[in-house]
Amino acid sequence: MDARLARRLDARFSDRLLRPVTGRHDETEVRIAPSEVPEVMRTLHDDPEFGFTVLADLCGVDTGEVMQVVYHLWTEPAVTRDWLRVIVDGLDRDDPRCPSVTFLWKGAEWQERETYDMFGIVFEGNRDLRRIYMPPDYTSFPLRKDFYLADDAARGAGEGVRHMEQMATPAAATRSNTVRRAKIS
Amino acid sequence: MTQTYSKDDPTLLVDSPAALIDSIQPFPPRSEREAEFYAVRDGEMLINLGPQHPSTHGVLRVVLKIEGEKIIDLDPVLGYLHRGVEKLCENADYHQAICYTDPLEYISSLFMELAPVMAFEKLLDLEAPRRAQYIRVLTCELNRVASHALFMGWLALDLGGLTPLLYAFVERDEIVEMLAAQTGQRMLFNYFRIGGVNGDLNHDFMSRLGDWMSRALKQVEANQRLLNENEIFLKRTKGLGVVDRDTALRLGMTGPSLRASGVPYDVRRAHPYLVYPELAFDVPTREEGDTYARYLIRLDEIKQSIHMIDQCLHKMPDGPVMAKIPRLIRPRPGRAFAAIESPRGQYACYAISDGTDQPFRMHLHDPSFVNLQAMGVVLPGNLIADTMAIMASLDPIMGGVDK
Repeated sequence: MDARLARRLDARFSDRLLRPVTGRHDETEVRIAPSEVPEVMRTLHDDPEFGFTVLADLCGVDTGEVMQVVYHLWTEPAVTRDWLRVIVDGLDRDDPRCPSVTFLWKGAEWQERETYDMFGIVFEGNRDLRRIYMPPDYTSFPLRKDFYLADDAARGAGEGVRHMEQMATPAAATRSNTVRRAKIS
Repeated sequence: MTQTYSKDDPTLLVDSPAALIDSIQPFPPRSEREAEFYAVRDGEMLINLGPQHPSTHGVLRVVLKIEGEKIIDLDPVLGYLHRGVEKLCENADYHQAICYTDPLEYISSLFMELAPVMAFEKLLDLEAPRRAQYIRVLTCELNRVASHALFMGWLALDLGGLTPLLYAFVERDEIVEMLAAQTGQRMLFNYFRIGGVNGDLNHDFMSRLGDWMSRALKQVEANQRLLNENEIFLKRTKGLGVVDRDTALRLGMTGPSLRASGVPYDVRRAHPYLVYPELAFDVPTREEGDTYARYLIRLDEIKQSIHMIDQCLHKMPDGPVMAKIPRLIRPRPGRAFAAIESPRGQYACYAISDGTDQPFRMHLHDPSFVNLQAMGVVLPGNLIADTMAIMASLDPIMGGVDK
């Protein structure tokens, strides 16, 4: 963790962070609520104090309890040695919604489409939010933790083999205690 | 079969197949952008490029909206090679996950395994022995040369020249055979392990490498003369498909395509990993941002890579090539992000551990996937024939794009 970067982040966003700035190895991590995404990301991108102009990665995470969207940012030119990880925490698993960042990085469009395709997270403001890998008439979201591979049915005793493609919307997903839940948050 | 009134004679009830086809509504557009794209105006036409087109370097379908010979808009359709590699990795243990990532970009497989391995090592708070790190850099740079050599061949092939491809394959074959002698496989090496590499450098590899190094630079320069001053090649690449600096950053482009637009962003320099801080190398950049610049950047990178291989051979320390780790690994819960510079740009792996022997979540960020998006910005306004050159210069590998 870069202590200087952490201090600056803390000074700037203290009231918006869900948790204090943390980090491990060469990563600095902040957590924000979905409603803060446009403001925080715009500040990180545009403000000369930060200048995180490179979107290194965008992905979704299903912890089994909530959904998260995770951004990895990098400055160009470099002002810190760390990757900045912004975790958008606490998206409702039944109706996951998150503001889009395509207004800053047009390149986020496909990455958000991928995240939508795999998790069903709706990015509000993305003009082209449709499936990207799976066929258009596909109804499930494969990377959610309640989507089992055929071999995987054995995880829950007596659970039986589920049909792989099962839910039309996230809300219709089967609630099950066999969902693998994260031991981290 | 339902009966409808004939279109020729509205008083007549018919039940022809034609009526049946007429009654099928078009698939409702799923997004604003899709509705806009598929509303075809007068004089415009939709054609499919691919999925079986040789210039798409895999299985990519692009729906082009054209007016005459000019492209107005396009809609890439992905997913033909989708394997669900992230889901597979979540259901495999840490060692198994590495070999699933090999076939992503099948012509630079070593890079594809390097990022997950580095992410898992971060989860374990583990560092590979220094000799293993040097071996990783050495083999990766070799793989980069092979990948870039093939890029030159493909670019020329897409522009209608077959000869450079044959020379490129000669170059690549030597490297691939060399790596096969070391790793036991020609393409999907599965050579890197969590905590080191699988086997020390062997005699066969070293003698082949020494043989190749003695003439590598000369051979590369000879190959370049085939294309660099070729009149047709220049006419068809210079000033074509220009991406400016700001657009490239906003598109999230990385790698040679970004450096051709004047941004000196190279993960090896910006965020050093392995032993790159100990090696001297330049990050070539160009300002033009066109297809020709993207081609030249890769030529310069080949030379830098050969230079780095040379340094690796001189600085290689003795010692073990594997750290001592248990066979079954259970990293403590946490998150790790590792990025590397693959021949196509920044390739990253984001891994989450929940304390079991399987990754809880493993995301792979592929540079081809992001770079390919530039197509939508660059292609409109160009001719259909130039599509091939521009697409080839972005160097997408569909195995990586579709994951």
